Amino acid sequence: MPRLSNTVEVVALEILVVDDSKVMREMIVACLRALDGARFTHAASGLEAIERLSLAPFDLVFLDLNMPDIGGFEVVEFIRGQDELKALPIIVVTTRGDDGSRSRALSAGATSFMTKPFEPDAIVAEARAVLGAGTAHD
Amino acid sequence: MTDGFDRSEFVGGYLAEVEEHLGNADGQLLKLEQAVRANAPQLRMLRELFRALHTIKGLSAMVSVEPVVELAHELEAVLRTRDRTATPLNATGVELLFRGVRAIALRVRSFAEGKPVEPAPQDLLLAVAALQTANGELPKGELTVQVAPELLAKLTPAEREQLNQGLASGQRALQVDFSPSPERAAEGLSITTVRERVGALAEIVKVVPRSVAKSPVAPSGLTFSLLVLSNGSAEALAEAAHVETRELVALSPAPSDSEPPDRESSELAIATDTIRVDVRRLDDALDRLSSLIVSRHRLERAVRNLRERGADVRELEALLGEHRRELRHLRGALTHARMVPMQQLLERVPLLVRGMARESGKRVRLEVDARHAELDKAVAERMFPALLHLVRNAVDHGIESAEQRRALGKPEEGVITVRCTQRTGNLLELSVGDDGGGIDRARVAAKAEAPVPADDRELLALITRPGLSTRDAADARSGRGMGMDIVRQVTVSQLGGELSVRSELGLGTTFTMRLPMSVSIFDSFVFRCGPQSFVVPLSTIEEVVELDSAQVVNAPAPKRRAASARILRRHGENIPLFELSSLFALEPKAGLRSALVVRREDARFAFSVDHMLGQQEVVVRPLEDPLVRVPGITGSTDLGDGRPTLVLDLWALQGSAGSQAVQP
Repeated sequence: MPRLSNTVEVVALEILVVDDSKVMREMIVACLRALDGARFTHAASGLEAIERLSLAPFDLVFLDLNMPDIGGFEVVEFIRGQDELKALPIIVVTTRGDDGSRSRALSAGATSFMTKPFEPDAIVAEARAVLGAGTAHD
Repeated sequence: MTDGFDRSEFVGGYLAEVEEHLGNADGQLLKLEQAVRANAPQLRMLRELFRALHTIKGLSAMVSVEPVVELAHELEAVLRTRDRTATPLNATGVELLFRGVRAIALRVRSFAEGKPVEPAPQDLLLAVAALQTANGELPKGELTVQVAPELLAKLTPAEREQLNQGLASGQRALQVDFSPSPERAAEGLSITTVRERVGALAEIVKVVPRSVAKSPVAPSGLTFSLLVLSNGSAEALAEAAHVETRELVALSPAPSDSEPPDRESSELAIATDTIRVDVRRLDDALDRLSSLIVSRHRLERAVRNLRERGADVRELEALLGEHRRELRHLRGALTHARMVPMQQLLERVPLLVRGMARESGKRVRLEVDARHAELDKAVAERMFPALLHLVRNAVDHGIESAEQRRALGKPEEGVITVRCTQRTGNLLELSVGDDGGGIDRARVAAKAEAPVPADDRELLALITRPGLSTRDAADARSGRGMGMDIVRQVTVSQLGGELSVRSELGLGTTFTMRLPMSVSIFDSFVFRCGPQSFVVPLSTIEEVVELDSAQVVNAPAPKRRAASARILRRHGENIPLFELSSLFALEPKAGLRSALVVRREDARFAFSVDHMLGQQEVVVRPLEDPLVRVPGITGSTDLGDGRPTLVLDLWALQGSAGSQAVQP
């Protein structure tokens, strides 16, 4: 699903992985190696994620909910408050698997919701599904 | 499983990260324990602790360490409830959390060693779950400062309470705005680094990202507003965050009717409580004060001369007395400015003890009692490693294992006490005690192949012998750091203090250091004159000249009892040359001698001495009320031979020698 730019040049799929745990980010990236042509950017906090999103375009965000500065919910709310980020797919990946967290994340605007521990196949499938839906909109 | 993902690949990273979070959790628990005792706000620690446990839980779930997931889950649930309802924990609650974290650490260790991981203890899980029942009421969360509505909306009741409590304790609430840009990112300036720098200086309550109109100030249309509590100046924060001072909006207490915050007046309200000063600047100030004291001596002499000539100098003498007192106070104030609070110095010790206790599997509680004791920075820097060594010894060799203690009828938890008391005058007493097994004199004696020490004094002499170790087996820390001989050397030789020990078999050991609270340290010339060595600060000497009789001419015979004054011819200049030995009534050595040339502004003079011994950094203990009482002698030092060596102020000596020599 690499994005096509108007010069018909294949542009890498830019994925932002947001989690305060480095190992967790690496695990997610390792799972997503199955996605061809993806490039990964790490963000270790919600604030860093927001900063990176303001500085460069991304195609997909994996987002943890509990982070040192501001939580994932707030990040989702912030992203959805930006005109140019309204359509950005966000996959929440969290240890907080309760229904409350799920519905709060989804109503804030998360595209999908997964719980830790996750299966590698599931995360790739989720990424494919979300990106597919996104391109259908374009 | 998908190719490229293998859980075992992450075990090393998992252990390293979990270890880090466990360390952080311990640190937060220690702070929490203190907060409970001091009835202080807990929110920050609760939150940090929550985050640590939450990450541990998530990571452990990925590598399938279920008992850890279960424990971390129960613990974080309590913390979340307490945070949301702003209900503080009590001592029992904190102890339960400690137990929980310990239980996690134990299981992580088993996992690391490849052993089966014990299930989570059910009684602990139940006890922790019971903590969730919050018994407090939600605080009203009415903020006592003005915050822009868009920020206010983002603050939870607990965060409002945190702001209110900070303000109530005299902190300032400030708003720091940072707007990221690719250029700033290239300079290493991101919200992460800004947050770190601000966090080092202030307590960050909340960071709110705000969409703003794109402008040169906010090129990416994003501004982070950091709401912080700070003791420090707004300027320091502005520098840390790389934002203009004008971007800092002090939040003044809200008036009853809600006016918009007035930027100008709120900026005026920012005052500076603490500044950082380079110690060298303070030393420089002390140095200048010394010159002031010398010129005061001359003034005193001039007044005395006037009086001897029959003038009425009563008013002048009264002024001189006042001047003397003021100089003394000024010197006291400057010395005081170099002091660091012991409390601050000892902050790192509890964590260290926790860590060592965890490694050794012992149960140790640390009690620190530093009250308001303060210590000169130079002394503190030299003393601290010695103090750490004593604490480490207490954990490793003092406190017995929990089993041994139980068998002896002692509480399982050993206690290490670090006590710091200000003694009269310039002395600080610092003791490290434990309620462990005490030092086995017979064993130490056997090890050192020496007679069994009869009392504590002999015991100290024995254990501070270079190279002696009482360790039974080499442990992880042995061979590192320093031995007891170094502790004694630092305390006694370097700092001019005293070291003593009190040890009773079965009851414990206490080491006590008595240290001068202030010393100064500088590079110096060491030289001999007659049978004695002396020291002068390097900075006061312009040059050292080998004396040769051709360069020296005798001046007209001076008055009785004066230093014999001669002239040293140097670079076509006539420099008054004083004989140091005659000033101190010492017998000068014959043969080749040297002269120290001192220059201050345009005046030069020289002192002849027997011979130079070299350069050396010395730690100088001021003599009681120095300078004022003994002109020319600023203090004493130990050059390593155990004997006091006088530190001279040649300028002041010249004052007394010169005035006598040139008087008609």
